[in-house]
Parts: sequence; structure tokens; C-alpha cells
Amino acid sequence: MAPGPPPRPGLPLEGRPAGSLAAPGGQDLARAVPAPLPPPDSVRLTDVTKTYPNGKAALLDVDLVIPSGDFVFLVGPSGAGKSTIIKLLVRDERASSGRVEVVGHDLGRMRRKDVPLLRRKIGIVFQDFRLLPRKTVYENVAFALEVTGTPRRLVEPAVERALALVGLTEQARQRPDQLSGGEMQRTAIARAMVHDPRLIIADEPTGNLDPLISWEIIQLLLRINEMGTTVMMATHDAEVVTALRRRVVALEDGRVVRDEVGGYHREY
Amino acid sequence: MRFLRFSVRQALQGLWRNRVMNVAATVTMVLMLVLLATLVIIISGIEAGLAFIEAKVEVRAELHDGLRDESISQFQQRLDGLAEVASTTFVSKEQALAEFKAARAEQGQSDLSDLYTDFNPFPAYFAIELRDPRESRSVVALLESETGLVRTVLGQQSGIDRLVNLTALLRNLGGIVLAFVALTVLLIVINSIRMALMSRAQEIEIMRLVGASDRYVRWPFILEGVFIGLGGALITLLLLLVASRPISDLASEIAGQVPLGFDRSLTVQIVTIVLGAGLGLGSAGAWISVRTYLRR
Repeated sequence: MAPGPPPRPGLPLEGRPAGSLAAPGGQDLARAVPAPLPPPDSVRLTDVTKTYPNGKAALLDVDLVIPSGDFVFLVGPSGAGKSTIIKLLVRDERASSGRVEVVGHDLGRMRRKDVPLLRRKIGIVFQDFRLLPRKTVYENVAFALEVTGTPRRLVEPAVERALALVGLTEQARQRPDQLSGGEMQRTAIARAMVHDPRLIIADEPTGNLDPLISWEIIQLLLRINEMGTTVMMATHDAEVVTALRRRVVALEDGRVVRDEVGGYHREY
Repeated sequence: MRFLRFSVRQALQGLWRNRVMNVAATVTMVLMLVLLATLVIIISGIEAGLAFIEAKVEVRAELHDGLRDESISQFQQRLDGLAEVASTTFVSKEQALAEFKAARAEQGQSDLSDLYTDFNPFPAYFAIELRDPRESRSVVALLESETGLVRTVLGQQSGIDRLVNLTALLRNLGGIVLAFVALTVLLIVINSIRMALMSRAQEIEIMRLVGASDRYVRWPFILEGVFIGLGGALITLLLLLVASRPISDLASEIAGQVPLGFDRSLTVQIVTIVLGAGLGLGSAGAWISVRTYLRR
């Protein structure tokens, strides 16, 4: 079981991990609470079970805490429950029982209309990139801001920042079919980062990439993590997991079978 | 404003990408709206004709000869007191004869006065105008019961009834046909928008994952349906505008002195109905499609 602060039900769990209480709008809170609160956990699953309507139990009594700023690998064979955990975290599915908290939101109590607000605090990256083929790199990244009603004057600087972060400023006007696999995944990461999220969920981000490019992507995710964003990465890539010596949560048949800092240990 | 600009742009893009299906939907919409407008024009034409005929219809009560002036004027007072009666005009035997002669003369025929040199065969009568000619039965019944005064009652109820029935039949038949066509249009719009939704499934998924609110996901598609409806309505109105002159001419030719054609109120009525039906069906189809496809 990973360490983490105890649950603090009833408290508003908003704000960035560092310095948020001193920010404008947070000053009342800072005055009301004598000592700065530790940032909320990025992810907190408590006794979570998920059974699909066809009767398949995808998760069984899962407890998982990912503190803010952590970098966690989620490993396990296909069907172990990795995808189900990701769907629960972005509230694409709801837990059958137990409690799911993500960046301070209790997803069991969350109203449907508030789900978009949650997702703006989470960046998601997929194995198949999921870029819009008719849009350029710039437009793909800007799309995430446009569809959330971001004022136009804020879109351009945010997109340029995100593209600079992933090193794609030069390719801004290219379409996905003109990019390499690594560049496509970096575009997807820029899109995930453009909202300045507190948690990045990467679902097999290196699954379609050769080893060298995979390392580039991992390096990028590590850099993003060093900047304060929590990263949860689901992967089959034993070499990457073993080499990085980060926290590894292993799932098997819907249960957490291992949660420790270290390598991949066994082939799934 | 940002939202509106985004939705309109996405909707126009969607219309272009899915153009074959959207043209099919628009053409079907135009066919239905033309049918609807035609029905409105025909029914309004018949109603204008009916009103014209009805305004000229009177009930005529022919009286027995030799009635005293007193009983005639008492009877007229009773008739004038009836709620259904708008006015009564008494025509004496002499006036009736004069009317007959004038009518014959107008037609250029002999007045046949040699046949009745010493007697007047025409009865005196009341020409009774009704407030609502369709309600003449009660007045006719009353007149017929006055056997001491009234010899014969002449009315044109059956002719009016036939026209009223024809209008009702047209309304009902037209309504049924229109309902089926409207249903077809609705299904085509639903299908068209569904194809648009499916062709943009990945875009919708990405929008949801990056936190787009529901209205950003839904409204571009609803607007696409609105644009199909609006396009169909505008094309229909354009067609009607081109066709309005020949239709008016044809109507005047058929109906003669009956005042038919595109007057101001009929034009307003048709524009309202066509725009309303087009926009209504377009947006309803899109709404249903979006509701069923995006319900997750």
C-alpha cells in the first residue's frame, strides 16, 4: 500500500499543489486555515469494485492512493483491469461500489454536468494518439481549448507553450499524416497538457512506438512530472518500468497484487 | 458568442463533409414543404370561394297570396328577432314580377307578359340573409313550420354542405398525406444527422475527453439539422415565389370572379408555415438523433 495523507472528507480539495492558497481567490481560505494544507491526492480509490452489466467483475476491492506529484506505472496483463481504472478516473464509467476520488472530486457524487470540469483537470494520452487527421498540430492542440470555451486571446499563448514543452513548435502547421509516430504522440501530450492539468493519464503511450522513440516519450512524461503534474502510465513495457525504478502498481484479475518501487518483476 | 461561432462553423463543416446525405435530406424537405404549401393554397382558395358563395346565399321564404300587411310585418319582425338572421328584405308580388321582367330583359329574352296579362304568378317573398349561412337549417325549419304564411322555402344548403365537406375532406386527406411525408422527412433528417455524428465519432470522443461541455458537443449537430430545415424552407419559398404568378393566373381563370390568389395574408401564412415546418422538422430530427446517439 502506498503512503498518502489520510482522507479529508468535506474539505474543498481544489487548487494546484504548490502555492495555490496564496493565489488570488484563495486568500480567504488561507486566512481561515492556520497551516497550509497538504495538496489533495491526485487519485484515491477506496474499496472500489466494478462489475460490468454482463456480469464481468473488472475490479475487486481496489485500494489505491496516488499522491500529488507522483509518477506511477500501472502494469498487468490484458484484462487485468487497467483500462477499467482509467475509465473510472475520467468518469467514463462509475464504480459499482467503493469511493473514487480524483484531484479532489468525489466522482460517485459528481453530477453529470460537472464531468467536463473534472476532465479539464486531467490530461489523457492514448496508444493510438487520437489526433484529428484534418487538423494541423496547432489546431489539434487548440481544439481542446476551443471546445471548452477558452477565450481566443488565451488560446494562442497556451498552445504555443504546450508545443514548446513537447518540442513541436516547428511542426505546428503540419498535419498528423506528415508526422512520425513520436511526433504524433508528442502532439497528443501537448493537447493533454494545454489545460495545465493536475494529472496526466497515459494509456500505453509507447505501445505503437519503437524503443528509441518510446524513451523520448518517457523522458517527456518525466519532465512533465518534475514540473509538478502527477503522471499515471499504464504500460506493458517491462524495460521502461524496470529501468526507471519508479512506483509500480500491478494488477491481476481486477486486484492490486503489488504496489512498490521497483521493476516489472514478472512477464505479463 | 464564442460558442455560437464554434457551433456554426462546425455545423457548416459538417454539412459540407456529409453533403450527399444532406442534399437528399434537403430535397425531401423541399418536396414536403411544397406539398404543404400547395395544400394551404388550395384549402385557402376553396375557403375564399366558399366565403364568396356564402355571402351571396340567402334563404327565400315565398308567402301565400292574400296575406294582410299586418301579418307580413309581424312575421318580418319575428324573423329579424332571430339570432341567426342578419337581415330580411320583403319583396312584394309586384316587385317580384318586376325583378323577373328585368332578369329576362337582361338576358335579352321576352318577358313572357302575354302569358300573365291579368294575373301575377309570382309570390311575395322574404329574402333572408343569415349571419352564418352554414346554420340555415334552424331558420329553414322555422319557416317551414309557418304553413299559414309560408308557401315554399328555397335554400342552397346542400350546395354549401358539399363545399364544406370537400374542404374538410381535403384537410383530412391532406393532413394524413402530410403526416406521412413529415415522418419520412423527420426520419431522413435523423439519419442524416446520425451519419454526421458517426463520421465525427472520434472528434466527439476527443471533445468529451478534453472536457467539452455537452452544449459544445450537441449544438453543432442540432444546428446542422436547423440549417437543413432552413435551406429546405428557403428553397421552397423561392420556388413558390417563381410559381406564384402562374398560380394566381390559373386560379383567377378557374374561379372567375371569386377573389383568389396570393394576397398579403396568404403570403404571410405560407411563409410562416413553410419556415416553421422546415425549422421545426430539421431541429426536431437533429435533436432526436443527438439525444439517442449521445446518451451515455
